[in-house]
Amino acid sequence: MTQTAGSAAATSSRQRNRWNATDLGLIAVFAALVAGSALIAAIPVAGMGVPITVQTLAVMLTGLALGPGRAFAAVGLYVLLGLAGLPIFSGGRSGLGVLAGPSAGYIIGFVFAATAAGWLTVLVLRRTAGRPGRLRAVLLFAAAMVSSIIFVHGLGILGMMVNAKLDFSKAFLADLVFYPGDVIKNVLAVTIALALHKAFPDLLIRRVRTGAGAPAGTPAAQATVDHRP
Amino acid sequence: MSGHGFLLANYVPGNSLLHRAPLWLKFLLVVGCGMASFLIVDWAVAAAALAVMCALFLLSGAGAARLYRAVRPVLPVLAAIGLFQWWQLGGPTATRIVLNVLVCIVAASILTATTPVQRLLDGVASLAKPFQRFGADPERFALTIAIMLRSIPFIAGAYSDVRDSARARGLERNPRALILPVFITTVAFARQTGDALAARGLGEADTEEHAPPAAPATGHALP
Repeated sequence: MTQTAGSAAATSSRQRNRWNATDLGLIAVFAALVAGSALIAAIPVAGMGVPITVQTLAVMLTGLALGPGRAFAAVGLYVLLGLAGLPIFSGGRSGLGVLAGPSAGYIIGFVFAATAAGWLTVLVLRRTAGRPGRLRAVLLFAAAMVSSIIFVHGLGILGMMVNAKLDFSKAFLADLVFYPGDVIKNVLAVTIALALHKAFPDLLIRRVRTGAGAPAGTPAAQATVDHRP
Repeated sequence: MSGHGFLLANYVPGNSLLHRAPLWLKFLLVVGCGMASFLIVDWAVAAAALAVMCALFLLSGAGAARLYRAVRPVLPVLAAIGLFQWWQLGGPTATRIVLNVLVCIVAASILTATTPVQRLLDGVASLAKPFQRFGADPERFALTIAIMLRSIPFIAGAYSDVRDSARARGLERNPRALILPVFITTVAFARQTGDALAARGLGEADTEEHAPPAAPATGHALP
């Protein structure tokens, strides 16, 4: 490969090349986690009559844990393989036929909701860097709620309008059923995400520092690479 | 659910015309049905299309039981939509809406019933090829898919282990005790996987400026 070709490839794919082997592992295993969460039975919650399904929880947690780029890749990979025919959507459904069903919008919405939640998480963690406390938890919950309302519920309603030919008000009412479970899942997702970031402090923070030090360029990137175990 | 057995659920081995048809043609069939579902306005046309799709499905030799199993998951919700739209928009329109969804689902199950999972995954991996000039790396993409597939049984096992230990401590109704350990295990497992890849020189980007000494060998087969 010539020098110019190499540098051209490097500039055009800089974003992609930041993903090292650990990032690939996280993307692949979190995609498997979303798939596994869709397949297991619903989990009972104390004080609630209805058990909750873990899938949307896993989707939001992927965003909260991995940040926008890797969350987009992980949930996108899950949706792509589900559409390709692996029985990994909830209820063991699979294939392109899902796109014709009334829940199509929700499945597409997962990808964008996880990305948006990841983007907002990076913002929140950066702004509350010095004082991790209740404020951080509340802001993360708001981030998860906003992402799921805009993308999961928004695209979910759109999917019901397109595929089941419901009009907006009917689709909106049908979608309201999912809100109580969503609030509970997002509270859970935030507590779990905070515990995850405590257990693995460099899961996302290293990314945030790399992003903040981007103008500094190579030295900052070099430093983070050197500290990697 | 050990190994990859559960991933083979949809494929029916055979040697019919549909089995031998190229993947892109079957994909076009599914996309065509998806487009048609927006254009068909007459329920009789939708019924005819559904009949054709069902005939194609049976032609593949997969059998009526398979056909029923393919549409069964959506039947309750389709029944609900059908009844609601019958009340709102009348019989013919409701029938057309439900039949159109069924056409798409049967067409999609023709694709998955007559194509081996490995072939489908190769098709997905080849999706990355056109994006190569924008920095996509088909080899790393295929590697990520392979890691994901072999991780699904691990995740399922982690869930059942954690559920057992939560039950032993009397916490089977505490969702945090049921989920958090799975996620901790998952992140740790992902990091081990990443380290294992890095140790073999797999998964690192080709053109990274500060690349490790061992450049990834492009000839390696997937694990």
